[in-house]
Order: sequence, then structure tokens, then C-alpha cells
Amino acid sequence: MTDEMAWIIQAQNGNDEGFTNLVETYQKPVYNLCYRMLGEAEAAEDAAQETFLKAYQNLARYDRERSFATWLLSIAAHYCIDRLRRKRFSTFSIDEDEEGQTELPDNSAPDPENEAVKKQTRERLQHCLQSLEPVDRAAVIMRYWQDCSEMEIAQALKLTIPAVKSRLHRARRALADSWEGKPARMRPERKPYGSPAF
Amino acid sequence: MDHRPFEDWLLDNKDLTGTEKRELNAHLQSCHSCTALAEVNLALKSARAAAPAEGFTDRFQVRLASRKKALRLRNFWGFLILFMSAFGLLTWIGWPVIATIFQSPVNVLVSWLSSLMSTWAAIQAMVQAGQVAFKVIPGFVPEYIWVAVLFAAGGWIVLWVFSLLKITKVTRGV
Repeated sequence: MTDEMAWIIQAQNGNDEGFTNLVETYQKPVYNLCYRMLGEAEAAEDAAQETFLKAYQNLARYDRERSFATWLLSIAAHYCIDRLRRKRFSTFSIDEDEEGQTELPDNSAPDPENEAVKKQTRERLQHCLQSLEPVDRAAVIMRYWQDCSEMEIAQALKLTIPAVKSRLHRARRALADSWEGKPARMRPERKPYGSPAF
Repeated sequence: MDHRPFEDWLLDNKDLTGTEKRELNAHLQSCHSCTALAEVNLALKSARAAAPAEGFTDRFQVRLASRKKALRLRNFWGFLILFMSAFGLLTWIGWPVIATIFQSPVNVLVSWLSSLMSTWAAIQAMVQAGQVAFKVIPGFVPEYIWVAVLFAAGGWIVLWVFSLLKITKVTRGV
């Protein structure tokens, strides 16, 4: 039995220490997903905390045959999608970096110019991400930041695998348009099981 | 400008041959749209994960404790409101009886005792009638009827016990 499964069983039996270990292990991927989805450090912290609370409350329903990481990311993604749909706040402050503080080029780094370019690229990508519709954004984040397979994304976002593929294609095309500075193409939001052909 | 098949190669992350790479590079020199797609691909592949500020787990534990406390408080107030509502409703419904008790407790006591006595007398009369019937009726009912009745009662009891066992079966695990 893996450590993770032992912690899950402990937590399901009411041992808070087991759940604390799970929080320690998954805080970074969950926070990253929330941060990329919401674009604000403070909102991401709150969403990540709420994700773990929801997981804690619904742990008895967790199916041990499934991947715990996918289950957790699914909760985080749906929480952020709901939050974005409710509030529609997608403004990203380019003054903030991943830690919620201003990131200045590191002059002590071997190549400060290169560091500044990398930082600018990250900010530009984050800015472009905000132009995607919430479900597409979640799919892209899970694919590229969390390294999830298309099947895991489909399970987490309750989509079919062809729908995930279609959304990833569409999202990357939209990101490229935004990267170029073109206005985002407004497309009606597809139903979860809607065929990509229509 | 025709983006095919270059856009598909980029979107599908296709493993390119040497010739395809050269063709793609030549296309990228003149196509801004596909260049943007290639740049986005590169940026996504080199994306860095954001990390929460130090002490995330501690903050979670504080939030969890506070949520548990709020839940306990909510349950307490919920129970209290429910209890008070039920108490108020019962008092309102039973007020005529309660008022009688307070107005004349001796009359209420006497009427209760008299009801109790009459109920007791009725039960005694029914028992006596039952005893008489028990002595007389068997002579009129054939034996096979008694056997059928006993089998039906036995079957009914077995069905009842199995149903109860099935309904009250406790599932294991969480």
C-alpha cells in the first residue's frame, strides 16, 4: 500500500493527520490550478483552501479505484469554473508573480536579461490564459501544468475524450490569437457532451 | 495564407521529420499566426507551476477548525430552533387541555380515573368473552382450517423477520 493510500484510509477513518499529509502533498498542484484559473494570488489561496475543505467533507465519497490527484483537481477546477461564472472577474494583475509579490528581474542571476524575458513570457501567457473560457482554461492548465492525460482531464471535467481534444485544440488556437494581440473570438460555450462537429 | 498542414502539426504536437521541420521553419518565417502558435506551444511546455505562500497547511488547519466550530454552532442553533418550534406548536395545539388542567386539576384527575376504570372493565369483559368463544368455537371449525391458519401465520412471521433483517442490514466501510 502506498503512503498516499494509507493517508486516504486514515483520513476516511476520521484521522486528521492523514488528511494533513494529503494537503502537504497536493497543495502546490491545487494552488497552481487555482492561480492559473483565477489569475490572482489571494483568490487562488482562498480557492485552494476551499478545495481542500470540500475534499475533506466529501472524502467518504472518494472512490479508491480512481486517482486521488485527479479527484482533487476535479474539485478545484469545478470550484474555479463556478467562481468565474458567478463573478466574471478575469482581470489579471501583471504586477503580481506566483507568490503574489512583485517579481523584479534578478540582477544577481547569471543572465538577468534572459530572466526578465522569461518573466515577461510567463506574464504574457497568464494574460492570454484569461481570455479562454473557464472549461477550456481548466483543460489547458491540467494538460500543461499538471501533466494530466486526456482521459484524466475528461474524468475531472466530466467531458468525453474527443471533447477534451477538441477543447485543447480550440484553446491553443485562441491562446495563439491572444498571443498575437488579436481580440479573442467569441464562441458560444459548448455543452459538456456536445459533439465537436457542431 | 494556407496554414495547412503546419497548423495541424503544431496543434497535434506531431513528431516531425527533418524535411517537415525545414518546411515548417520556412512557413514560420512568413506566417505570424503559426509563429504565435509555435511560441504559445513553447511557452506552455516551459510553464512554471505557482506555489502557495509558506504555511498553507497551517492556514488550512485554522480554516478547518473554524469551519467545524461554525458547523457545531449552526447545528446547536438549528436544534434549539427546532426544539422551541416543536414545543411552541405542541403547547399551542394542547392549550385547551393544559388550560383545563390548570383551571381544575381535581376534575381532570377524577375524569382520567373514571376513564381508566371503564377501560379496565371493558378489557375484563372482552377477556371473559374471549374465553367463552375459545371454548365454544373450536367445536364448530374443522381441523384442516386450523392447520391452514397455523401455516399462514408461520409464513407471515418468517416473511416479516426476513424483511426486517434485510431493511436493517448495516453496510460495512465508510
